[in-house]
Amino acid sequence: MAEFQNLLTPIQVHGPPDPGVESEHSDKNRIFKPGGMNYLLGKIGDAQIGPFYLGWLGILSLLFGFAAFEIIGFSMLASVNWDVVEFIRQLPWLSLDPPPPEVGLSIPAYGQGAMWLLAGFFLTVSILLWWYRMYRRAKQLKMGTHVAWAFASAIFLYLVLGFFRPILMGSWGEAVPFGILSHLDWTAAFSLRYGNLFYNPFHMLSIVFLYGSALLFAMHAATILATAKMGGEREIDQITDPGTAAERTMIFWRWTMGFNANMESIHRWAWWFAVLTTFTGGIGILITGPVVDNWYLWGQKHGLVPQYPDVYEQPLVPVQPGELDAPYLGAPSSDPLPGIGTMEGTGPAPEMMMDVSIPVPGLDQVLTYDAEMGR
Amino acid sequence: MSRLTPKRLTTGAALAAVMVFSSACERPPVEVVNLGFRGVGMQHVDNPRELQDSVNAVVEREPQQGIIPLIGGDPAPPGTYQNVQVLGHLSQGEFNRTMTAITQWVSPEQGCNYCHYVDPETGQPNYASDAIYTKVVSRRMFQMTQEINQNWSSHVREDRGVNCMTCHQGQPVPNNYFFFDGPGDPLRNYVDVEGARVQGTTALTGEGDNRQSIKQAEYTYSLMMHMSNSLGVNCTYCHNSARFADWDESTPQRVSALRGLRMIREQNMQHLVPLQDVWPENRLGPLGDGPKLSCASCHNGAYRPQYNAEYTWATGWPAITQIGYPHENSAPGDTATAN
Repeated sequence: MAEFQNLLTPIQVHGPPDPGVESEHSDKNRIFKPGGMNYLLGKIGDAQIGPFYLGWLGILSLLFGFAAFEIIGFSMLASVNWDVVEFIRQLPWLSLDPPPPEVGLSIPAYGQGAMWLLAGFFLTVSILLWWYRMYRRAKQLKMGTHVAWAFASAIFLYLVLGFFRPILMGSWGEAVPFGILSHLDWTAAFSLRYGNLFYNPFHMLSIVFLYGSALLFAMHAATILATAKMGGEREIDQITDPGTAAERTMIFWRWTMGFNANMESIHRWAWWFAVLTTFTGGIGILITGPVVDNWYLWGQKHGLVPQYPDVYEQPLVPVQPGELDAPYLGAPSSDPLPGIGTMEGTGPAPEMMMDVSIPVPGLDQVLTYDAEMGR
Repeated sequence: MSRLTPKRLTTGAALAAVMVFSSACERPPVEVVNLGFRGVGMQHVDNPRELQDSVNAVVEREPQQGIIPLIGGDPAPPGTYQNVQVLGHLSQGEFNRTMTAITQWVSPEQGCNYCHYVDPETGQPNYASDAIYTKVVSRRMFQMTQEINQNWSSHVREDRGVNCMTCHQGQPVPNNYFFFDGPGDPLRNYVDVEGARVQGTTALTGEGDNRQSIKQAEYTYSLMMHMSNSLGVNCTYCHNSARFADWDESTPQRVSALRGLRMIREQNMQHLVPLQDVWPENRLGPLGDGPKLSCASCHNGAYRPQYNAEYTWATGWPAITQIGYPHENSAPGDTATAN
C-alpha cells in the first residue's frame, strides 16, 4: 500500500521505444529517433526519450528566441563594461530597460531602449511561432487544440504587458523591463503608481483563479494518487467506464462537500481556472492606466475600501492649509544639475510629466519643468 | 572513513543553503510597535539588541570636555573681531564658548587649526583669514544651522533644534551625505526638484491629468527607500501601505517627513550648492559636485537623530538658535577695514 504513497513513479515500463502514431506529413521531421529509456526520467515521468519534432516553425522559434536571449544577455554584459565576473555577480540586478518616457512610441536610439525593443520583437515572434507550432502539432495528431488556446491566454497577458498597454499609454517606457529583479521592481512600481492594484477587481479575479488553480491541482492530484492502487490514474477509462476508483473518489467528495466533479469535468475546471488566471489578469493590466488611474480611489468610490477610525495625533506644528499639496514631480529632470552645470549625454526633459512651475522656498528662482506628453 | 554519500551531500547542501539564505536575517525576538489602528499592519519593527548598540554609541559620542555652560550677553563691541560675518550677535564670552564647543563637535583631534590659518613663518594664528576652505564652509554651516533652528521648527522642534554634533558626531566630515551619480538621480529630489507624488487624485484617468510614468514611480520608490534607510524605519512608519498617498490614514510622522524634505531642499540650494567652488578636489563626488544633505545626514539611521540625545540640541547655543549678522569690524572712529 505504501508504494502508492510515493512522490516518485513506482512503476516504470521499459521496452522497445514507441515511435508514436503515424500522421500525414510529419514523420520526416521527427528528429532524434526514439532514444531509448532513461531510468531517472522514468522516476518523474515517462521513461522514453524522443522522438522530438522540429519543423520550420520550431527552428525559427528557437532562432528568434535565441536572438532575444542573446540581445538581453549581451546588453546586460555591456551594462557592466563587458566584465564577465561582474556580470555573474550582479546578474540578479542587471536589466535591459524599455525606453525612457520621452521616447513615446517612436524607435529609440541605441542606449535609449533600442535593444529592449529589438529583444521584445524577437521574443514575441519566437513565442507566436511556438504557439502556432503547438497548434499545428495538435492538429496533426488529430487532437483538440486546448493546449494552444491555454498558451494563448498566457501570451495575451504577455502582449498586454509589453505591447498593447504601452501602445494605449503612448509610451514604450510603460512596458516591463527584462531583468530578474527589475521586472519585480516594475510590478511594485506599477501597483504604487496606480494606487494599489489589489483594489483592481480583475486582479482579484486573477488571484482567485490562480489560487483556485493550485487548489484544484492539489485536489485532483491527491484524488487520483489516493486511488492509484484501484486504477484511479487511468482517468480516461474511468470517464466512460467508471470503476471502483472513480466511484470511490466521487463519493469521497460528495461526502466531504456534497458535490463532485467527475473524471472528465475536473479537467475542464482546471483548464478554465488556468486560462482565466492570465486572461482576467491581462484585462486588469490593460485598463490600468488607459481607463483607471487610481484603484484605491476607484475602490473607495465603489464601497470596496474599509474606513478606519482616526487614531493619529495631529502633528506638533499644525498643518497649514495647502501645505500637504505637492506637485507631481515627473521623472528626474535632465536639466543641468545644480552646482555642476550641464551633463553630457543627457536628453531633453522627459515628456511624461506635468507642466509645473516650482518656486523654491527662499530663492528668487523659479525652476520650470516643462513637458507635455503627446498622447 | 567518511565518504561523500548522496545523503551527506544533500545534508551539506541543505546546511549551506540555510546559511546563505539566513545570513541576512537577524535572530528573533524583535520589537514591534503598533502605530495605527489594529489590524492594518502599521507597525514599526526594531531589533532591540541593535537598537541598544546604536543608542550606546550615541551615549559614547557625547563630548566630555570643552562644553561650557551658557554665557550669553550682549553683542561684542564693534571692532572686537575682524571678518566675523555670521556670529556678530554674540558676546565675546559666548563667542569663545562657541568656538571651544565647535572644536569638540567637529574637529576634536584636529583642533582650531582645522579651520583657522596659522602663518607658517611666524607660527602666529590669523583667526580672520579665510585661507583654509574649511573656514568658509563652516561659516556656511553656521548660517545653515541658524536657519534650520529659526525657520524649520516644524521639522526640528522649537525647543530642541539641531547643532553641529547632530550631523558631525565629532568628525570633520559627517558620516552621511551624497553626491549625484547621474543626471537622473532620484536623490535630486533632495536638491532642486519638488514633489514625489505619482498617484493621481481621481479614480479614472479621463477625470484627471496625472501623467506620471512607471519610471517616475520607480524614482519615487528609490527616494522613499533612501528616506526609509536614513531613518531605520519601514514604509508603515509613515504610510498605510494600502493607500500610500492618503494623508488621512498616514501617521503625523509623514507630515514631518515632508517638511524635512523641503527643509533639506532649501538648505542644499541655499548653502551646499553655493559651496561648489569652495570645495577642494578631494571633497567632490564622481561627477564633480560637492557633498549634499539627505535625511541620513542628521538621522544617521535613527528615527530621531542621535535618539534625541540632549548634546545634539541647539538649546542654550545662541550662536545657532538665532539668525546671526556681521560683526562691525570698525570701532567708532576707526577707519581701518577688515581684510
